[in-house]
Amino acid sequence: MKKPAPADLRRWSDEVARDPTSLAFLPLARAYRRQGQREAARQLCLRGLEHYPTHAEAHSLLALLYLEDGDRAKAADEWSMVLRIDPDHFESLRGIGFCYLEDDQLSRARQALERAALLRPHDATVQEALQVLGTRQELHAGTVTTNASPDDMDVQNRATSTGAGPVIAADPSFRDAWMSPAGADLVSPTSTGSRPAGTSPAQPAGAAFAAPASSADRARSLALDFADPMSVFNSLTATGPLLGVLLIDAHGLVLAGSMARGTPGSEDSLGAMLGPAIAEAGRTVAHLALGDWRGMLIEAGVAMLHVAPVRPGTYVVLAGRRTAPSGWMLRSAGQAQEIALRYLEEYA
Amino acid sequence: MIDVYNAAVQRLSRVSGVRGALLVDAQAGVPVVAELAEGVSGTAVAALAASLFQRTAQASEHADFGRLTTLQVDADEGHMIAVDAGEVIIVVVAERAAQLGLVRLEAHRAAESLA
Repeated sequence: MKKPAPADLRRWSDEVARDPTSLAFLPLARAYRRQGQREAARQLCLRGLEHYPTHAEAHSLLALLYLEDGDRAKAADEWSMVLRIDPDHFESLRGIGFCYLEDDQLSRARQALERAALLRPHDATVQEALQVLGTRQELHAGTVTTNASPDDMDVQNRATSTGAGPVIAADPSFRDAWMSPAGADLVSPTSTGSRPAGTSPAQPAGAAFAAPASSADRARSLALDFADPMSVFNSLTATGPLLGVLLIDAHGLVLAGSMARGTPGSEDSLGAMLGPAIAEAGRTVAHLALGDWRGMLIEAGVAMLHVAPVRPGTYVVLAGRRTAPSGWMLRSAGQAQEIALRYLEEYA
Repeated sequence: MIDVYNAAVQRLSRVSGVRGALLVDAQAGVPVVAELAEGVSGTAVAALAASLFQRTAQASEHADFGRLTTLQVDADEGHMIAVDAGEVIIVVVAERAAQLGLVRLEAHRAAESLA
């Protein structure tokens, strides 16, 4: 990318200083990032997003800044936000696809990367990531088929022997996709395993391609996700027409989850309003002799909601765009119930 | 109008897996037309379905999600689908194995024909 002229930098800086709502914050933040001033760039993005909370490019830049600082979880959050605003944002699909791959969430990685590949079929980094993904899935399938103990070292060795990791890590086009403008290569060609997010500086998006994450890493990753109650369902809301997922109790109080910015109503009001309807649904199915209540799909003018019991007295609420297919909502609800159950088992 | 109501309920009742169908006065919660399996009280089903629909509609509007159009309750042994049709609510009770897509389609068609 062309380096901005000093005159441009001054002009953008003056504009932002004069008018905090100026959109010049974005080119200025990009320029700061290219100069390696990531903290200044991040502050500019955050301030800009206060005025333009649905600015996809600002969220996307913020994601890159977080990634370069080794905070993959926050980077993934920002890309999730971009995809809610613009579901066909290539860089975000690719970025979040890589994050899922690092976290060994292979089906989600495939979903995001295949969408990215549809948008840019000739992007070498996406194609190579899909190849690595295929190799990983084969290895996982092999492990399951042989019913062998999930010895991660064995899987890791086999992955390395296939050459999947080094091929990706050493590929210049892949490296370029993650190369910081300051010259710091974000991909470590010699990396042999992934470390938990947040514990290593500049954890590269491609580093985990060298080997599948160990089960311990996966557990740590899960624990990190669960450590922030608002992010518990982020893996579900990253792509697709979901607006958010909440875990609520019988009083309508929110235990975990969040709604996307711009979703009608607040989390607390939604939980509180649904309480009486949930109680009524239970009474209705009991009278109709339909057995235990399993879920309720609510289709309204602006959005679609699904409510389902998790454990006695706890419910998971999904909100989706009005255009979301009802079958897709029901399947997503099943996944949300599983995540909610795991969350309750660990933290309740 | 009652002929139109009857026709809608009869068509819904013919869908495979449907145990019963009824049109319920949205305000009063009483059955207008009903075809239900033997032993099922239309009055009770109408009252419960209308109450559930109203409560959910209130929740939806208070949470700014807009006017409730369709409500589907899933249970171990079957489903209940309620569709807004203006002055009446179309209520369908179906078995677990029913073709839900078809049931929903017919319920929405019935709602359009009554609107």
